[in-house]
Amino acid sequence: MKKYLLVLASLLVIASMMLVACGAPAAEEPAAEEAATEEAAAEEPAASGDKVQVRWFVGLGTGTNPEQVAIQEEVVADFNASQDEIELVLEIVPYDAARDTLSTQIASGAGPDIVGPVGWGGSNDFYGQWLDIAPYIESSGFDTSVFDPALVKFYQTEEGQVGLPFAVFPGAIYFQPAMFDESGLNYPPQVYGEKYVFPDGTEADWNWETVTQVAKLLTVDVNGLNSTEEGFDRTQMVQVGYAPQWQSVQSVGTFYGGAANIFSGTEKGSYESTIPDSWKEGYKWYYDGMYGEQPFIATGPLAGAPEFGNGNIFNAGKAAMGLTQTWYTCCLGDFKNAGLEFQLGIQPIGANGEVAGRVDADTFRILKGTQHPEEAFAVLAYLITTGGDKLLPAYGAMPAIADKTEAFFAVKSADYPFVTEESWNVFVQGLAYPDTPSSEQYQPNSIKANARFATFFDLMNNTEGLDVDAEFAKLVEDLNVIYNE
Amino acid sequence: MLEELNKTREKFSFAAFRNMKSIAKREMRSGLGFTSLWIIGFLAFTLIPMIATLFFSFIDLSITDGIFSTPKFVGFDNYAQLWKDPQAGVNPQFWFGSETPSSLIITIRFALIALPVGIFAPLLLALLMNNKHLKGQFIFRTLFYLPFIVPFIASVFLWGGMLNTETGWINRFLEFAGVPNENLPGWANDVNWVYPTYVIMGIWGIGNAMLIMLAGLQGVPTELYDAAKVDGANTWSTFWNITFPMISPVIFYNLVLNIVGLFQYFLVPLVVNNGTGRPGGATLFYNLYLYKTFFTFQNMSYGSTLAWFLFIVILIVTIALFGTAKYWVYYAGEVRS
Repeated sequence: MKKYLLVLASLLVIASMMLVACGAPAAEEPAAEEAATEEAAAEEPAASGDKVQVRWFVGLGTGTNPEQVAIQEEVVADFNASQDEIELVLEIVPYDAARDTLSTQIASGAGPDIVGPVGWGGSNDFYGQWLDIAPYIESSGFDTSVFDPALVKFYQTEEGQVGLPFAVFPGAIYFQPAMFDESGLNYPPQVYGEKYVFPDGTEADWNWETVTQVAKLLTVDVNGLNSTEEGFDRTQMVQVGYAPQWQSVQSVGTFYGGAANIFSGTEKGSYESTIPDSWKEGYKWYYDGMYGEQPFIATGPLAGAPEFGNGNIFNAGKAAMGLTQTWYTCCLGDFKNAGLEFQLGIQPIGANGEVAGRVDADTFRILKGTQHPEEAFAVLAYLITTGGDKLLPAYGAMPAIADKTEAFFAVKSADYPFVTEESWNVFVQGLAYPDTPSSEQYQPNSIKANARFATFFDLMNNTEGLDVDAEFAKLVEDLNVIYNE
Repeated sequence: MLEELNKTREKFSFAAFRNMKSIAKREMRSGLGFTSLWIIGFLAFTLIPMIATLFFSFIDLSITDGIFSTPKFVGFDNYAQLWKDPQAGVNPQFWFGSETPSSLIITIRFALIALPVGIFAPLLLALLMNNKHLKGQFIFRTLFYLPFIVPFIASVFLWGGMLNTETGWINRFLEFAGVPNENLPGWANDVNWVYPTYVIMGIWGIGNAMLIMLAGLQGVPTELYDAAKVDGANTWSTFWNITFPMISPVIFYNLVLNIVGLFQYFLVPLVVNNGTGRPGGATLFYNLYLYKTFFTFQNMSYGSTLAWFLFIVILIVTIALFGTAKYWVYYAGEVRS
């Protein structure tokens, strides 16, 4: 029996050693890592034939829709055909599973080389894992003068230069003119500073109060009654007036109350949640929009129903207005195929009296654990320049390289010929209203803190009769613990 | 028991292998060859990960550190954290009085509702299917089994749609039948309805258990029923004194599988309630909390500790269950000392 156990133990040890041998080295201190990876890159034979294989992971942000996947595959094919030293391999992971998948890959030492497009939110979840690309910018002679210097600086963090500007996504209100026409309402303004004109000729600032009034009139039940009318059947709504399309709970707060630092403190033990009261008011407004007497926002169950596009409400043609960013132009296939049309309106004025806009910014990042940093940087440089010509329109992203803007809108106009120039210009104007600090800002214990925020959002969306004040207090209390864990 | 173990050990020892006849050796090699894929799979995907997680539970390791980073031993710190964690609920002080129930209590509460249904519903159906007066048994058997072959995740989505509080046809039907809007069930969004909702979804897949019960029922010798009839036994007496003892091994088998499955309950709350614990924290089952700790929050060490605690609980419950078997499970031909 002892012999038997000995053999079994030996087998296990051999298997463990094989696993260790197959695995990549773990993330180390940046300087040591740099040397190690360079050495590894020099020593390692080419992974695929004579070519070095570089894995590109997509899933932490936009890029997983079938239309986008096809374009990305095209870009990969273009890149692979353009040279004979690197083989680029695309890995698409559904958004919902991407964080867990990437975590697991990194943990097992089998992480990809490049990740993106990814915004600040997705990047913060892997804080400490990103490679400082400054040495590779220098050694490759990459010309960063094509970008606004402020945007380059935007990607300098404590981890170093973790990315280069690639895509910006200003926000706007997407609206369906047909629904406005049917209700006899004027369209949202398309120039910042303009007022909204009600059918009786009265003018009002385009703020959340006005949006609410308009949205209620655009929320219609099966009998054709709107949300303000007697006999409106809230259980049989066929369209809603407003949808914060694919926005996080932090975004909802930002849009309503303006950008804000959501925590204070400098080290563990001193962190404290500082979510402003204006966000809390925003959450109460949002909740009232779903479960109040005159609803104008789809509740969680309604939004999740197949009839309402399983959450993609505007695309399903069920929302008169959807507040979201340029990246949403990626995902309007069903909408367009149904023969529907949209235009773009300005973002509303927030509770602080100023336009509370949002601008997302995505880029590609290289993981510290890469075995091929130079090759990965070569791919990154290709993706944000040449590859960007195809990728940016597919992502619905405005280029960070100003010279490419015109080409971007030309592609978008071809996709959506009914969208007017005035509408596209709303996006350009939107760049002047970024959320600083971003609603995707870094928080201590980021993943857990974001998960707690998401739970709060989920609770609001799906619970009738909720005491939002009490739940908000609980959120703050929990965040104070999570930040200092 | 010890004697049996010794016999088994001798049978599988290397000495025994050496003493085997060549044909027996060849047969054994073939046997091992055919099972080798399973053995490799078991080693790679079960045994080694189990050993690894035991190791992780004694170190401080985040998933982004990578499993090949230099381990930092923390002794029993993770187990101490487990004891103090109100969400896990290992410590009895968190079992009662807390506003949000702990994951262990949530799991046990749900098991108390789901287990009887998971055992008796297939048994009742199997008894029905085995009734000689039922016409078209084959059709019913097929119909009841059919949902089992639908991928579980697909059926969860299907039920999610049917039980949608806003657009689901079940609530629409109830509304049509005159149930006032304010009295319509909130299903997965209502803390009072969420467990029954999950149980209803579970009933959808009882076809397999029903089939196993039916096989057990059909294996009961008919002469026992004939003898009971001659003795004047009524239906209940026949069931209790003949049917139940004869199929008790099958019931026992289903009971063990159900209990293990309930402790590992995970997929339905993850899909239906997004794994957030909604409503009111009622669906943050132990295994879901484990998954979130390990993967979402990237805390491999504490996640492993949670996993080992779960393993030990399941092991103890299963052993206890086997301990009770001698009192109520009847194996034909078994000699009891």
